[in-house]
Amino acid sequence: MRRKSVKVAPGENVFSVVWPLGRPAREIVTLNPRPSDLDGRTIGFISDYKGKHHEVFQTVRQSLRQAFPNITLVDYPAFGDIHGKDERGVFAALPGRLRAEGVDAVIAGIGV
Amino acid sequence: MRACRTAEKAGIPAVAVVSTGFLRQAKVTARALGIEGVWIAEYPGIVPVDSLPVLEEKVRTAVVPSILEGLARPAKSGQVAEPGPEPRAVVFRGTLDEVQEYFISQMWSDGLPVIPPTVGRVGEFLRFTDRDPDEVLGVLPPEFREATVWSVAVNGVMAGCRPEYMPVLLAAVEAIADPEFRLEDAGSTPGWEPLVILSGPLSKELGFNTEGGAMRVGRRANSSVGRFLRLYMRNVAGLRIPPGDTDRASIGYTFNVALAENEDAVGDIGWEPLRVDLGFRRDDNVVTVQSVVAISPPIYSGGVRALDHLETIAHLMGTTCGPWAFTGLMYGRWHPLLVMSPCVARVFAADGWDKDDIRRYLHENLKIEARWIELYASRVGGGDFTLAALAEGLDSPEVYTRSEDPNRLVPLLLRPEWTNIVLAGDPWRNQSRVYVNNHEQGAPLSKAVRLPEDWQGRRAHRG
Repeated sequence: MRRKSVKVAPGENVFSVVWPLGRPAREIVTLNPRPSDLDGRTIGFISDYKGKHHEVFQTVRQSLRQAFPNITLVDYPAFGDIHGKDERGVFAALPGRLRAEGVDAVIAGIGV
Repeated sequence: MRACRTAEKAGIPAVAVVSTGFLRQAKVTARALGIEGVWIAEYPGIVPVDSLPVLEEKVRTAVVPSILEGLARPAKSGQVAEPGPEPRAVVFRGTLDEVQEYFISQMWSDGLPVIPPTVGRVGEFLRFTDRDPDEVLGVLPPEFREATVWSVAVNGVMAGCRPEYMPVLLAAVEAIADPEFRLEDAGSTPGWEPLVILSGPLSKELGFNTEGGAMRVGRRANSSVGRFLRLYMRNVAGLRIPPGDTDRASIGYTFNVALAENEDAVGDIGWEPLRVDLGFRRDDNVVTVQSVVAISPPIYSGGVRALDHLETIAHLMGTTCGPWAFTGLMYGRWHPLLVMSPCVARVFAADGWDKDDIRRYLHENLKIEARWIELYASRVGGGDFTLAALAEGLDSPEVYTRSEDPNRLVPLLLRPEWTNIVLAGDPWRNQSRVYVNNHEQGAPLSKAVRLPEDWQGRRAHRG
């Protein structure tokens, strides 16, 4: 407990107060090992369809293809819009879709 | 960050791409989602205002190298959060001024003076519920903290509520804790505010103002309940403006006082109260919470026929919603609230109109030029949006795509029944106002108020 030690004026009350927040209830997710080399790997793009995502992912795509000739890229339409009308459905289906596409790593954006 | 979490949980490593303005929020969200170590590749700048060549250059020289680093570097998983103090533990002792300063330093205050939450004061609030103080009402994003009956009482004390408001406060928190409310989006850049609407006889009993200045500070019940919910979202959900990191409201506005329906006027006119419109019983007390992202000017309507009034109301409602209606199309939800003086409602009723007739008229007549929807969607989201794409999955997508004329008029409301109507405000002035909700974020969510056994006895005991 923190306690102030300043003088209290005559007639002034001292209050003992409680914590106004709540117990954290977050679940820790163990992060997976990163791929040692992207060449020959399958990368999935997941998009919120915001922030000129098409242009951003297009440039990422070009750069990755240039750097890793044997890379496989699965574009965002394969996974759906994670910030659209069917957001919950898209998220529910996402693990299955990622596995079905054989995705080794994900690049998700674009938080504008 | 939720996509990264989903991928990591599925056993697949992930990196996120986030622009500069959202970095701090992304980091806090990642921590709350339990993926603190996930790599975030920064897009340096503001995506929607960069030209294509600039964007491409930034992606090539900054984003891609960062993505590659994030996919190569070992990721460190996060740590389990400290549980925090026991609910009843005293965390600070001091004078009134010292308590204020301490709470501000901890970001536990909304910036206004708070009533010190002592165990005794919290206990007074708990007398007005039968529920276990440790009952968890939900886990509130973005910080994912437990919302308990106890913490509702604590924040109710702080906000200046009277103890007997406790059942209303609990219903309001139950509403925002419902995943359908999408509290995780309450820190989005439009900066919407929650609005508590109370429908039921309890409003009169607790002294809510339903008449002149219904939406102004000045009556303790309306003011403190409205303040409570914003404070609770700040403290327990963790939505804090700078120096906090989780509330990204670009400008925002201040909290709404609670809106209470004028029970007597609804009865006199012979309309159903809001709670019955929403499927509850007439003898229920119901709290509805919805987002408000924009408010119309005062709408003065006149005449002796319903249509005289509706023409004005529809025009000002349409111009208030305006291009922001694109969000309704984009997310498939859109719930404007029409607050109407009882004297305007009397004209409708005398002309044989009920609330459904008004909703139908508004649904059929509120229109906007198609080009504004597409243009504004692109301005907000950055990118190209077509009406055809936005309308996909709606009830009648063809009404948006029958023509390619950019100046064609398209509907602004999605469904008639999604416009709620509440009678409140000066009963002697012909004014209405429209409160625009933020699409699926904070769509109206209603909960019945649960009064404890011997409610009247407890009230009488308090005096």
